Amino acid sequence: MWFRRLLAVFSLLVPLVLLAIAVFLTYYAWPAIHYNGLDFLWRETWNIGNQYANPVHRHGETVMPGARFGILFLIVGTLGSAFLALLMAFPLGLGAALFLSEVVPHRFGHLVSFFVELLAGIPSVVFGLWGIVFLIPFLGHHIFPVLAGMFPFIPFLARPTGSGYGLLTSSLVLCLMIVPFIAATLRDALRSQSTEMREAGISLGATRFEVATRILLPGQKTALVGATMLAFGRALGETMAVLMVSGNALNYLPHNIYSPISTMAAFIVAQLDSALADPTGMAMRSLAEIAVLLLVISFIINGAARLLIGTLKEHTL
Amino acid sequence: MSGIRAVHPPRPSPGWIRYRRIKSAIGWALAGTALLILSVAMVQILLYVFLKGFHSLTPKIFTEDTVGVGGGLRNAILGTALLSGSAMILSALIGVAAGLYLSEFGEGRLGSLTRFLSDVLVGVPSIVLGFVGYVILTVWLRWQFSLAAGAITLAVLMLPYIVRSTELALRRVASGIRESAYALGCRDHQVVFKVLLKAAAPGIGTGILLALAISAGETAPLLYTAGWSNYGWSGHLIHEPVAYLTYVIWSFIGEPFHSAHALAYVAAFLITFVILLINLLARFLIASSPHSRL
Amino acid sequence: MSKLRTRPLVRLTALAAVVLAGLCALAPVPVQARTTHLIETGSTLLYPLFNLWVPTYTATHPGIRITTEATGSGTGIAQAVAGLVQFGASDAYLSPTLQRLHPGLLNIPLAISSQMVNYNLPGLNRRSLRLSGPVLAAIYAGRIRDWNAPAIRALNPGLPLPHHRILPIHRSDGSGDTFIFTQYLSFSTPVWMNATGYGTTVSWPAIRGEIGATGNPGMVQALATNPYAIAYIGVSYRSAILKDHLGQAQLENRAGRFVPLTGSTVAAAVAARAPHTPPDQSISLVFAPGANAYPIINYEYVIVKEHQPSRRMALAIRRFLEWAIAPTGGNAPSFLNRVGFAPLPAQAIRQSRRQIVKIH
Repeated sequence: MWFRRLLAVFSLLVPLVLLAIAVFLTYYAWPAIHYNGLDFLWRETWNIGNQYANPVHRHGETVMPGARFGILFLIVGTLGSAFLALLMAFPLGLGAALFLSEVVPHRFGHLVSFFVELLAGIPSVVFGLWGIVFLIPFLGHHIFPVLAGMFPFIPFLARPTGSGYGLLTSSLVLCLMIVPFIAATLRDALRSQSTEMREAGISLGATRFEVATRILLPGQKTALVGATMLAFGRALGETMAVLMVSGNALNYLPHNIYSPISTMAAFIVAQLDSALADPTGMAMRSLAEIAVLLLVISFIINGAARLLIGTLKEHTL
Repeated sequence: MSGIRAVHPPRPSPGWIRYRRIKSAIGWALAGTALLILSVAMVQILLYVFLKGFHSLTPKIFTEDTVGVGGGLRNAILGTALLSGSAMILSALIGVAAGLYLSEFGEGRLGSLTRFLSDVLVGVPSIVLGFVGYVILTVWLRWQFSLAAGAITLAVLMLPYIVRSTELALRRVASGIRESAYALGCRDHQVVFKVLLKAAAPGIGTGILLALAISAGETAPLLYTAGWSNYGWSGHLIHEPVAYLTYVIWSFIGEPFHSAHALAYVAAFLITFVILLINLLARFLIASSPHSRL
Repeated sequence: MSKLRTRPLVRLTALAAVVLAGLCALAPVPVQARTTHLIETGSTLLYPLFNLWVPTYTATHPGIRITTEATGSGTGIAQAVAGLVQFGASDAYLSPTLQRLHPGLLNIPLAISSQMVNYNLPGLNRRSLRLSGPVLAAIYAGRIRDWNAPAIRALNPGLPLPHHRILPIHRSDGSGDTFIFTQYLSFSTPVWMNATGYGTTVSWPAIRGEIGATGNPGMVQALATNPYAIAYIGVSYRSAILKDHLGQAQLENRAGRFVPLTGSTVAAAVAARAPHTPPDQSISLVFAPGANAYPIINYEYVIVKEHQPSRRMALAIRRFLEWAIAPTGGNAPSFLNRVGFAPLPAQAIRQSRRQIVKIH
């Protein structure tokens, strides 16, 4: 029995760590939650106040004059980039998974899917490097102007195309980072279905594509939705790559898909140093409030996905 | 009365069949294109990083420390190995034990809670861990930028991966093995150490390796816990910053100097290469295991 | 069976051993018994100078290690305050509130720097545009949007300015460059002072197409890759600006004259403003009076805690700083000329010394 108890103590560490993080962050962010109120979510300006003036008292808290913290532009940037990334990653991942599981011979398919999954292993910061050195000049000079020229009538695709740093670039990088995950999950889900289903479909006169999309895929709807949710969660929390290619917009909403943005996760890294310089500490606590928000979001998304698809499998980790 | 006429299902017209065939062909073409796009992107990124990095690779990289924006990367290579290595030891000790509990004795409430929360912990953005690590370990405990602060933050990041992969690996061990061990009069710890861990070793090893690969590529949790140092580690757990490769990529690519860019490329090459190697090794490990299901 | 199962584990262990042995081969540093490791972080403007200093200094002082990091003045100040680093490099002096909250904090000037206003105007980069504080303030506030706006044309008669939107680039990290640039805007333009003010981080008015960049290096890159952009960049990145063939503006000074950034215009500004430096050396040198004075110059500070954890550490810091400000040491032209800095005048050296001896 002593051995079981010992193991139980270790296993208790996981909930404890998560609980400690959640409690600590909330406690640390509390003055900011109190000071910022609900406006935190709707306001469009992040201003740590005049650092070279004397601190003032407002709403029972000590802050630098002019200090106002709102993250609407971050929420829009985060949701926008993650959503756009998903919009591109979903069909790509679905197509790749279908092709890999139904067309490519198994032996070879193993190899190809392994290589695609390796894409998920490339560190975020390397994606960022590639984004800065290759993708941004390429998109900014060759692709975006053409794209904007082709669709001048669609409001979000029209000029100005800017520098290449921005929403669409971030989404493209994010897309590449989450596609392998979607593709791998779906491929496994499809392959797990019995051969009889395929044979029955073919014998009814359906083409193989119809078998795959009308018979096999609907059976894996929960896997599909779960994987998509988890991928969305990842895109929301991605930090370094987005930090390096997003253009670090401050205090304004994107006006088209080329416009610079910033996301909640990237903003914490980008603004931590400025926040530390705030002698009242309110900027730091407002950053902690962003972290709390990220924690809550990841809690909801991962919890929901987990409830939906039951226990997670290996590569969904 | 005429006899019973055989009822034929309405035959689809040849045009309809052709339409469906074409539609399917287009569907496959699109699916193939998706795979092609992915593969091309993958190859492009890898080639880009490898060519750029390989081009700047010199023996100096391995023998010299970073001086300003020049010199070598010895300090960063050692630092990454140290940080990820010690984080791995920490999280493997805790994670394997927790995984054991979940798979062997974790049917109760504690088990399902741990399982659920470790799945949630996987999804927590790494910068949140870095922020908490900074405020608690670096500042509040006054460890300053240090190996301990960096490694513990990374260990928290790796922990849920190891817990869950250990559990899954153990669950694949046939229950007959357990039952025979218990029937032979083995105690819990004997079953675990003499039978289960041996049988599940490849699976557990794979999980640990994959977590190691993830931690080696992380930047955000380390920026404000490990800091940066131009020198190799001097043996202090706290009060002494540690260099690491991903910092070089993030920081030096923004410098307008050629030497800085060269170091960033080499760092990207090294870290990507090592991570791919670890991934390959993990695959190999699981593929060579008799319980492999992949 | 059991042998078969453990084989991968054995192989893995062997591989780990080989990797570990390889790493150990990289590692044979005889760690000196009494090395002192000083960490410098902060200003990206001071970073190139520190990188020139450190190899020279550590070569002649074997017990000393100095790590340098370019993170921005905001980080420099904050991490020096938190005691995470020994030297917090900053282009800005400490705010009065910080000084009051942390009485044992010193800001010690190490050299004098200046700031360029650069632009990327295809075809016009070789011509030096004339710009004034109010015009720059209007550009960064979004009131002047195009390069051929009347206000810019009026300052630059005869120049074929393009009808193209201006892309203002600003620092997105906490930055001393932002501090001195917004001081120039504030001191020259009351509207800016009231609406935005100055600081290492300010709430920039939102403008379409504006770009946030990290560090001076990020500013240079953003400017080089964006035609029709404008940026404020520290003088130690002048070689990068010249290499990329970007333009550099003449700025209007307090006397209403347009002056280029040269050794003599900086010297004139130093002569006009430095003698007013108070004993704690917290002073802005921006917008100095004098017909020939360049308007954006500043002390490059290092933020140090008066009280150090050990005497050995305090001694190491004092020695390094004494060396850094000495005209025969770190302030020698062989160092400063390479980053475009000006040496500290004699009075400032005396004041810095008086602050350095307080470190214990």
